[in-house]
This record gives sequence, structure tokens and C-alpha cells, in this order.
Amino acid sequence: MGCEKAPPVSFRLNAVEWVKQEKTHLSEGQHFDERYKMEIGTILTTLFGTPDEPKFPFLLGEDDPAHEIISLENLKMAAGPARTDKREKPSGLYREHCVHCHGISGDGAGVTASLLNPYPRDFRLGKFKFKSTPLRQPPPDHDLQKTLENGIPGTGMPSFRTLPPEEIQALVQYVKYLSIRGQYERFLLGELAVLDGDPLIDLSLITPSSDGEAPTDEDREAFEEQLDIVIGEGLLDNVIDRWLDPEGKVTRISPAPAEFEPTHPDHATIINRGRDLFFAKGNCLQCHGDTGVGDGQLSNFDDWTNDWKNSSNVDPNDPATYQEFTDAGALPPRPVRPRNLNLAGYRGGDHPSDLFLRLTNGIEGTPMPASTALSSDEIWALIAYVTSLPYVNEGTKPVDKPVNDKQVLR
Amino acid sequence: MKRAFFCTMIMAVLAATTSFATAQDGWGSLSGQIIVSGDVPENLPEDVKDNPDKAVCLVDGKVPLDDGIVVNDKLQLRDVFVMMYTGRGAKTPEKYHPSFDKQKEVKVTLDNLKCRFVPKSTFARPGQTLILKNSDNIGHNCRIATMEHEHNVNIVKNSQAEVTLGEGSDKIPGEVKCDIHQWMDAVILIRDNPYVAITDAEGKFKIENIPAGDWQFQFWHKKGGYLGTIEIKGYKPDRRGTIETTIKDGENLDLGTLSLPGEALDK
Repeated sequence: MGCEKAPPVSFRLNAVEWVKQEKTHLSEGQHFDERYKMEIGTILTTLFGTPDEPKFPFLLGEDDPAHEIISLENLKMAAGPARTDKREKPSGLYREHCVHCHGISGDGAGVTASLLNPYPRDFRLGKFKFKSTPLRQPPPDHDLQKTLENGIPGTGMPSFRTLPPEEIQALVQYVKYLSIRGQYERFLLGELAVLDGDPLIDLSLITPSSDGEAPTDEDREAFEEQLDIVIGEGLLDNVIDRWLDPEGKVTRISPAPAEFEPTHPDHATIINRGRDLFFAKGNCLQCHGDTGVGDGQLSNFDDWTNDWKNSSNVDPNDPATYQEFTDAGALPPRPVRPRNLNLAGYRGGDHPSDLFLRLTNGIEGTPMPASTALSSDEIWALIAYVTSLPYVNEGTKPVDKPVNDKQVLR
Repeated sequence: MKRAFFCTMIMAVLAATTSFATAQDGWGSLSGQIIVSGDVPENLPEDVKDNPDKAVCLVDGKVPLDDGIVVNDKLQLRDVFVMMYTGRGAKTPEKYHPSFDKQKEVKVTLDNLKCRFVPKSTFARPGQTLILKNSDNIGHNCRIATMEHEHNVNIVKNSQAEVTLGEGSDKIPGEVKCDIHQWMDAVILIRDNPYVAITDAEGKFKIENIPAGDWQFQFWHKKGGYLGTIEIKGYKPDRRGTIETTIKDGENLDLGTLSLPGEALDK
């Protein structure tokens, strides 16, 4: 009983993606061959190892540029069961600090997940909200590090500030590892529809025959050739390459104009300018509402939900229409709410530069778009207005319409 | 960064499975016309609900029908992507016709008009610039999400924003959506291989300047996915809607009238 060794922990197949691919490409009631699950599992284990023994596909050996973004030593420190060795060196950090919410596979469906609002992040889409890079460009380490150190106010994500920097670093890399593994798994699942029944890789080539005869060298070679195709068709390269050189993709933050400082005599002017932008050129009111309480759009969903929800006729109000997905591990859809800007505190950080990045790049995975049409001065004006909102006294809140009322949308 | 070692291995694998029929020079083209046979699934009214921008989005005061399946009175089908197939087991040309260098310089416009993306289907190449236009008197956002690309741009009323596409080639088209008017949707294919055509209002397509040789072409539609059941005289498409063709120098390969059973669009 208590003294028995626990069974080895394994990564779970992305069953939601499996169901989604079936719904997208097959006729009603048709299913993919179950043997693909074994094939995908084998490919992933070959390249990425297991939760206890992580590996990383440094396909170019020591010269592989991926060494810049992942070190095996860090992965090993974060992986495995939580323990401290005789020299007090910890390992199993992910299972100690993260697994309860984010799950062993990084699917954001840990045991506490369904109780949290918003749900914990599913790393397997490779999307991150609070970062200094544009959409589809993964975050540099310092963004993930900041999230770990500060937590995400207003959500279940706590601060891990008390951990030593090397443990934070190990966790940052493990999150990237789960994300890269998860993205590649999604690419593999996306291949099933075009295979037309052919194996992704033919496992029978390396399985001993029923009379115990070992696979021949030729079979082994043929198998390795297949594996090279699965890896080399750009699927894995595409995922890993995107993570390289993140610093080169960081958005530059333009300096704020002098009147942005609250002590500047013209500070009120920049707030008013921001207010006009909020109602017209900035397009903000369409989601955040006229008063900024976030009541403009109430029926949108984030990408983590839309990803499977839009593949089939899902009615978010009728669980029967999405039961196949929840059975596969998806959490029931919940609308994503535009931020109530009358409350101080922002999930991605309170510093004006955080808000500059949110406005310039948009927020990945959410409907918040990039303000491509706004100049950096206009963005600073909007930040001045938005950050002033929580501190306007109820009694003195302006009730008059914006100066450019005629241009105001609707 | 390309992993040269694996590229070499793949090249070796491809070389072993590729015939050398492509050695001939010259350029040809491929054309055809797609019609729907049998019943065309009905387009439902757009889910406009009580969106405050309703006034701009209605057509003649009425909620418009979804433009998911667009056929004319002769059942000729618009919005089918005809693409050179470059995926698993297929080969891709060593060079494209020089005219495609110029094509890349041309900006591609995607408009928002009466809460509808115009055109419904777009093809663009990495490096090309998209003009995201808003001809409406209300704000939109334009959210492009394909396998390789993602942009979400705020476009204020009567304005436009430009986006230059980065690297990355998609295998099939991805989605374009507006989050403010959630029924708005379109598709976009972003990939470097320029041998792509989208059927026009009469269901016609033509791909020009294809290198002479044997190439696979694939048929895809947003509502039908891979058009594996499309009927083409003299060809047998596989489940992923691909056929094998031989393109000859100076000749057009006319596939004639291609017939798609209506139920293929009912997914």
C-alpha cells in the first residue's frame, strides 16, 4: 500500500486536439485509427523523453542553436518527482510548484484547474499573453521570469518570488520545453487527416515479431528514415526555430512624452487627448465599453477555448454540444471579459511600459488587437487616460461627452 | 535556421522517390471550372444578435445570409483553393517563374465592408504586405490566425493598416475573424509556393507559369475542407483532395468542369 512505488508518470496525449482534428476532417461518427496514438507517443518520447527523464531534440548535437534556449540541466532540475538530494540540490520543481494547476503535460488542466477563473494556462498552444514580443513570437525568458516572480494579479497565478533565481530559471525553461513539445504534438495530430490511413511511422518495423525474431538492420534503418521525415518535414524545426533569438524580436518601447509625468503642468492635456482616442481612433470602447468597465463585448472566448470550440457546432450554453471535448479533457467554455479599466492593477504588470506593450502588440490569445494605426505618442496618451480612470473620484467623474462627440462610434 | 543535416537526409529520401520527368524546361498552366452537383447546403442568417453596430451590418435592413458557400444560379462555386500540393511525399519546384518576384511586391487588400470581409478568400506570400482596410463607419479588428502566422490589428472606421507578413508557409488556409462582430469570417492562405488559384464567381480558376513536369494539385474549401469527393474527368482525387497532373511546356491543361457533390460542403 503506502510503501509501494508509484507508477512512472507519463505525458497525456492531447486528446482535445485529437477530437478537434476528427471533427474538422472526418465525417460524423468517423474516427482516426487508435494506433496513431501509439505512434505519436513513440515519436514524442523519442524526442522529448518523459516527465521523469526529459530529453530535448538537439538535432545538430553540440552546435545546435537550441542550446541557447534550453539546457538539459535546467530541465532535469524542474522535472521528476519533487525531492532534494543529499547536497540540498532540489529537483522536481515543476511537480512541486506548478503541476496542481498546469498539469503534468502543461495542458492547464491540473486538479485545481476547473475551480479557477481564469483557467490556468495551457502551454501547448505556445501562446503567452504577457510578453514583450508581437503575436506568434514566443516570449524571451525575462517575460516568463517576470510572470513567475510577480504572479498574475487577479488570477490564481501566485508569485514565486521567494524561489532562488536558478530555480525560477529552471521552471522558465521547463515551461518552454512543455510548450515546444505541446506545439509539436499538435502539428503531428494535424498530419493525421492527410495521411489517409498510412502510418505516421511504422512501429511494426522495430517490434519483434510474434516468434521473437528481432527486427533486422534494414527494418531499423527504414524506421529511422521515417522518423527523419516526421522530424525533418519542417514540423519540429518550425516550432523550435520560432523560439530562437527572442531578444531580436522584442518590441522597442518609445520614450513617453514629458507631459506623461503626473507632475507635468500639461498632464491634464495628455489625459484628455487619450480620452478622445479611447472613444474614436483607438476603438477601445467597442470592447471596454463607454465607461471602461469592460462591458462592450461579453460573448468572446479566448484562443485556448476557440481552438476547439470553433471546430464543431458548440453552443457554450449547452454542455451536451461539447461533451466529447470535455470528456477528452477540455474545460467548459467561459467567455473572456475585456478588462475593467476602472480598477487599478493590470494582469500583465502595472508599469507604463507593460501597458505600452499591451497596446502596441495586442494580447496574444485574446481579442485585444494591436494598435498598428496609433503613433507612439497616441499610445502614451491612451495609457495616461486609462491609468487615470481608477483614481477619478465618483463625484468628480466627467459626465460630459468627449469633445469629439461627433466622431464617436455609434 | 535550417537543420542542414536533416535537410540533406530528406533530400536523399525525396530523390529516391522522385521521377526525373521534371528535367524538361518551360512553363505551362492549369485551368478548370468547379460546379456543385446535387443540393447545395443552405447558408444560415449571420448571427448578428443585438450587436450595437447592427445598422451598419444589415443589408437592405435585413440580417444577411452567411457567405460560407457562394454559388451563382448555374451552381458555379466560388472560394475553392486550388493549390500545388507540397506536403508529405510530394515534391516542390526548384524555381518559380520570374513573374512571381514582381507579384510579391504587390500589396494585397482585405477590406471590411458592411461587416463582411472582402474578399472572402485571399492568397498572399511571406514578405508580402497586406492592406487591412475598413470601409465601414464603425471600428473592426482583423484577426488573422493561420498555422504559421498571426496578426490581430485594430482598424478604426474608414481607415486602413498595413501588415508585412513574416516567414512561414501554411499548408492550408487559416482564419480571418473580427472579434467585435463575431460572425465575420474569411480565409487566407499564406505560403511561398505561388502556384495557387481561388475560384471566381463563375467557379473558374487558372494557375499560370507552372514549371513543366509532374505536379500534385489539391482542392480545398472552407466548408468542405479537403475536397476528396470532387469529380474530375480522367483523374481520381485521393482523400485529401489531390490529383497528379502533367504540365507541358507552352500548354494549358484544362481539367474541364469539375463537379463537387453538395454534401461535401455540409461539414
